[in-house]
Amino acid sequence: MDVSKPPLFAIDQSASPDAGGCARAPIDTQGSADSLLRVSGLSKRYGARVALADVAFDAKAGELIGLIGPNGAGKTTLLEAVAGLLPVHAGELTWNGVAMPPARRREAMFYLPDGIKPYQDQPVARVLSFFAGVYRRPDAAVADTVASLGLAPVLRERVHALSKGFNRRLLLALALVAPHPLLLMDEPFDGFDLRQVRAIARVLRREAARGRTLVLAIHQLMDAEKVCDRFILLSDGRVHGTGTLGQLRARTGLPAASLEEIFLALT
Amino acid sequence: MRSPDTPAMAMRAPLPPLLAKELREILSGRALWITSLLLCPLVGYSFFQAVSLYGDASASAVESAVLARSLSPLDGILVPSFGAFYVGVTLLFPFVAIRVLGQEKEAGALRLLVQLPYSTPVLIGAKLAAVLSAWLLCSIPALSTLVIWRLLGGHIAPAETANLLLGHLLYGLLVGAIALFAASVADSAATAAIIALAFTIGSWVLDFTLAGRPGMLAWISRLSLTQTLQPFEQGLLSAGLVLGIAAAILGFAALAAVWLPPGATLRVKLLRSLACVAAAAIVLAASSQMHLAADLTADQRNSFPPADQRALATLDRPLIVTIHLGPEDPRYVDLQRAVFSKLARVLPDLTIRLAGAHSFASSAGDENYGEIEYVYAGRRDMSRSTSPREILPLLYGLAEMPPPVPAAADDYPGYPLVANAHAALPWFFGGLPALIGLAWFCSRRPPRVDPIRIGQTASGGPS
Repeated sequence: MDVSKPPLFAIDQSASPDAGGCARAPIDTQGSADSLLRVSGLSKRYGARVALADVAFDAKAGELIGLIGPNGAGKTTLLEAVAGLLPVHAGELTWNGVAMPPARRREAMFYLPDGIKPYQDQPVARVLSFFAGVYRRPDAAVADTVASLGLAPVLRERVHALSKGFNRRLLLALALVAPHPLLLMDEPFDGFDLRQVRAIARVLRREAARGRTLVLAIHQLMDAEKVCDRFILLSDGRVHGTGTLGQLRARTGLPAASLEEIFLALT
Repeated sequence: MRSPDTPAMAMRAPLPPLLAKELREILSGRALWITSLLLCPLVGYSFFQAVSLYGDASASAVESAVLARSLSPLDGILVPSFGAFYVGVTLLFPFVAIRVLGQEKEAGALRLLVQLPYSTPVLIGAKLAAVLSAWLLCSIPALSTLVIWRLLGGHIAPAETANLLLGHLLYGLLVGAIALFAASVADSAATAAIIALAFTIGSWVLDFTLAGRPGMLAWISRLSLTQTLQPFEQGLLSAGLVLGIAAAILGFAALAAVWLPPGATLRVKLLRSLACVAAAAIVLAASSQMHLAADLTADQRNSFPPADQRALATLDRPLIVTIHLGPEDPRYVDLQRAVFSKLARVLPDLTIRLAGAHSFASSAGDENYGEIEYVYAGRRDMSRSTSPREILPLLYGLAEMPPPVPAAADDYPGYPLVANAHAALPWFFGGLPALIGLAWFCSRRPPRVDPIRIGQTASGGPS
């Protein structure tokens, strides 16, 4: 690979002073002018069934946002709609304050779907090489991703032979190799045990600390509580609350409540 | 609207990784290798039989120059051998081509693919390139018949052979483009296969049921995919046909591109599809009006003798022919094949009309039935003949010019060859399948270099 070529995406490394730590970005639940991404009035129906109803949220550079909700809440629909992979009936998305049509969203964000096994007949190394080649990523960046996600033992394995956990790691690796400033991940912890969740959470925090924004759709509230800076509580396609854990506790009047208790109180 | 402040990206991603990935994907599928393996005996046995029949015919022709003239390797060897390849492409190749998109859709990888920094036409173009590569691999058995025929001492005319190969290439790409479109529209590979086979096998149905029928049915029968190959098999290179097939390939590829992105609404996809179909229809209509064609056969079977060709080319006034025959009448078919198709390519201005509603079945009692009227430069003549030996002198008479003197050197010698292809059977039933199997095995081997490079600094990981 030609490492002299610059990456297509220039990720702002200065967003976090501590690339290896867990520095958090400033939080503003109401959104502000410095929002990287702002979604408003997003609505989607399947026939008479409302999948998303007037959904609105925003995200800043370096934030790690948890999109929280039970199965069927509309998390995947919302992520795919934001990524421009699903037509919507209403809604607007702005990037740095400027409207961004669906066709251009892949320039700014990368969506990692749940439950896919891409390029099943190819070895893991080739799949990674393909993504690295497409995005002109240097070998060192790919090697770093492989190391951080523990993919080294399965590089020669074909994708169809991977366990659920390693398949998930491969998907995460593809997302991390992609140089987009915003990553939308659907159930990134699915298939991992407790220790693995913690380890993956460290990897994701490191990415956020480097200035990337991550929106993670998570249905395991305990996982989300450990990982995310801010939460969007989604149920029946509607946003029932947004904010940090502290802000949500204040809003519900439950000062020691867990995210699970807050979710139950608000939905 | 001001451009969003996104990182500098545009559509500048390098093509080689995408092309390599598409090639690897299609090579890793069983469909391609199984199709190639099946084509070996299919093409091989057709070739063996063709050589046997050609050898039998040649045995009596080696002593007779007249009989020898009727022996053309294009008709006797190449068309039958590649005919088996055509059957394989029609029935099996759709499954190969569908895989380049169908598997990504079924595995969910399409949602990754469409996010890559390539435009949709580039994505479809890369897949079409993979389809072309697959066709080349599948064509190895057919191409090897050319080599074996030469080794047996057979004659190959480069122009007509290249023309035949071009026809099969265009046909293969057309089938591949249809399969891509089917995979793009359908949710599963099985549904895509049904759609693609509806086109290919439906073409056979059109051929069997509508060929030779009059009016609209004749027009519909021309939509058959198999019709696209026939002129190439007859040694004709028609600019209109090549343009038409190219338009159809691009049209289906464009439709595949329209239906690929999951983010577009059904309404948008339908409107864009209409635009694609309209554009393709315009080009197809324009191509049907192009009469530029070259006869690339060594025996010039699609042309009159050279002396007549030169003489007819000087007829610069309009020739109007009125035919009192039903379109299903065999005499009309003879006229078209032996006279008018040749006249259309040499005369600058030819108009052919079918007079009234004549029907072959109800022709009894119709005195005019069978008459063919020729009008040139205000002079007219009538004939019932379907033979160029009678019609051409009639035309020279109308043009008030003497018939040209035929040149003896114009005669096609023919290429009889008494041979049999028993020695080729082990190649088609053993050697070539073994080589293809070996290539399949090699393609399944895991990479050696990539993991070392990618993982050279990789160690540890989440515990």
